[in-house]
Amino acid sequence: MTIFARLDRWKVQGDISPEQHLYLTGLARGEPFSLFLELNILLYAGVLAFVAGIGWTVTTWSQQLGDLVIVGVLSALLAVCFWYCFSRASGWSPAETPSPNAIFDYVLYLGTLVWCIELAYLENRFHVLSGQWDFYLLATAILFFFLAYRFDNRFVLSLALSSLAGWFGLKISNWPSRQDTLYRECALLYCLLIGVGAVILQRRNLKPHFFGTYLNIVANVLFWALLSGVFNREGYGIWFLALLLACAASLAWGLTRRHFAFVAYSAVYGYVGVSAILILNIYDGTSIFAYFAITAVLMLVALVYIARRFGRSA
Amino acid sequence: MRLYSASSEETLRARKLLADWAEEGYITQAQHERFEQETVSNLRTTNIFLRLVLFLFTLICVGAAIGLFFVVSRPSDETAGVFLLILAAGCYAAAEATASQAHFYRYGIEEAFAVCSVAFLCVGMLVAFFSGGHYSPGPNSSELLVPAIGAMFSLWIWHRFGYSYAFIAAMVFAVFLPGYWTSSHAAQHVITAFLYLVGLICIVAARHDHRFDYLDERYSFAEALLWLGIYIAINLRLSTLVPRMYWLGFRYAASEFARPFYWTTWVLTWCLPVLILTRGTRKKDRFVIAIGAILAVLTFVTNKPYLGWQRHTWDPMMLGILLAAVALSIRRWLAGGTNGIRHGFTAARLSGRDKRWMDAGSAVLGLAAAQSVAAHSQTKSTEFRFGGGASGGGGASGSY
Repeated sequence: MTIFARLDRWKVQGDISPEQHLYLTGLARGEPFSLFLELNILLYAGVLAFVAGIGWTVTTWSQQLGDLVIVGVLSALLAVCFWYCFSRASGWSPAETPSPNAIFDYVLYLGTLVWCIELAYLENRFHVLSGQWDFYLLATAILFFFLAYRFDNRFVLSLALSSLAGWFGLKISNWPSRQDTLYRECALLYCLLIGVGAVILQRRNLKPHFFGTYLNIVANVLFWALLSGVFNREGYGIWFLALLLACAASLAWGLTRRHFAFVAYSAVYGYVGVSAILILNIYDGTSIFAYFAITAVLMLVALVYIARRFGRSA
Repeated sequence: MRLYSASSEETLRARKLLADWAEEGYITQAQHERFEQETVSNLRTTNIFLRLVLFLFTLICVGAAIGLFFVVSRPSDETAGVFLLILAAGCYAAAEATASQAHFYRYGIEEAFAVCSVAFLCVGMLVAFFSGGHYSPGPNSSELLVPAIGAMFSLWIWHRFGYSYAFIAAMVFAVFLPGYWTSSHAAQHVITAFLYLVGLICIVAARHDHRFDYLDERYSFAEALLWLGIYIAINLRLSTLVPRMYWLGFRYAASEFARPFYWTTWVLTWCLPVLILTRGTRKKDRFVIAIGAILAVLTFVTNKPYLGWQRHTWDPMMLGILLAAVALSIRRWLAGGTNGIRHGFTAARLSGRDKRWMDAGSAVLGLAAAQSVAAHSQTKSTEFRFGGGASGGGGASGSY
């Protein structure tokens, strides 16, 4: 039975009003057809292409254009973007607030990305902070956190979290090569700060809808840090224990809150960590393949149970 | 022919629509709960995260089982090939069984089995029939059978199970076919485009009777992919955008092609996006409209390389302004209609799914953009040169 037949039946039974029937039938037929997502993607692509062009032009023509022109233009662009955002924004509210108009978010994106370019240009040309990029990252993170909370914007919040991670010395592309203890400790400190901060902000009802973004980032950084400790040849015991605890917490959180991304994190990161320990000193191919075949089946059984018990709803 | 009955798939579609309408407030919560009881499906579904993890662990399980076999038995090439072919049959049977007996629907497990069956079939054929020095790619090679059967089997999986990525696999297999018929690059492009065109005609004919049922989205996606394939086959300058294509053998000098052919493809790169956008708009087909828009952008981006003109650093800025202007103009034009609707189109959000996509996309893109800022975090040298890193996601690269 198609959705149209169902709607007809519900209308006849009086379960939906004739107006609802008309509207829902139209929606199911794509009438009206919403271009909301497409137009937003087009705007986002436009902003990205524009900023890419600015970056490319500044990089290529800095000698010919001169510092004054470049800094002047970038500053003017930045000022216009932020002026627009602050002048158009509705009053601040701790709850989720919609954008005041269709282009507001994109002007904010443009402003934040231009800020990054200008900051990098200034430091590179004038060495204001003598190459102390950490301070730029911290300042950028603080500014972006402020903008994210002022204008209720997840994109800028993610920029802020990443900038802060940069200040802590984290960089995703470094992870495979840099697994020293200090690096892990930085990651754990970052997780602690962000995690505690997120909980406090949520408890105080300050943009509680941001909590999921915080939690996902904290979970991934934490698991990567713990896994890097587990892969250490020496002193991995404490990291392994921490990984197991983190997996248990993630699984419990995912199941109780029905956030199945955390169930997935716990399954994948946990499996990788446990496997790394269990096959640490096994060099026999038969045993290794047998291990993966058996454990993968066990994982499948457990996950199917979880999926049937908890995870039906999408 | 299809594994899942039409009524089951229609029921799942109805449940999705009802959930979306309830989220947007088009129906009340009480109505939603009542309708949900009337739309119970016998298919077992799960959420995207568990689906992905189940898919991953099924792949690990199958991969480990094969590894174990090879380590233990150390078979010859022929034996290994035959074993892989048997395994392909086994995986396909497992996919059928889990889907039909256990009623798994987009559950990850049956999908992994189906994917493995295609992979093992192709690798098994290669190892069993073309290994040990028999490998001879090129025109008139019997090895043509591998991509041909791979394409047909992928199409079967798409038809039987409805996995869109199986259709993509079939298209990828089809790309390799012309290489077995001719060594001329121009002819290969034409043959590939022709194969996709034949597929497109079939899809357009088939979807005619499924305009508003559960198959419409599947056909729509396939049609969009075929349009994309035709465009990629036709646009000879796409390799200038993706340097990696060089390693795949897709980088040709403009002089390699006859001038009439080269300029015909240039004209087609302009005509195709218009044609696709027109068709997508008329049919109100989301995927086709999206592909039309993407191809229009690609045409703009590859136009200068096509004409042999020099690219300028401000070209992306111009493109960005153009994209933003088009988006804003359309939005403004639509908003000017009665209730914000013109010709059946609106810029307003009608589905909660759009908001979820936007939220998730914003968070992920923000992280990706800021990663390039963080790239400088460890660099403390005063001699640091600003370059190569696309600072702030803005694409600033090179050095001042």
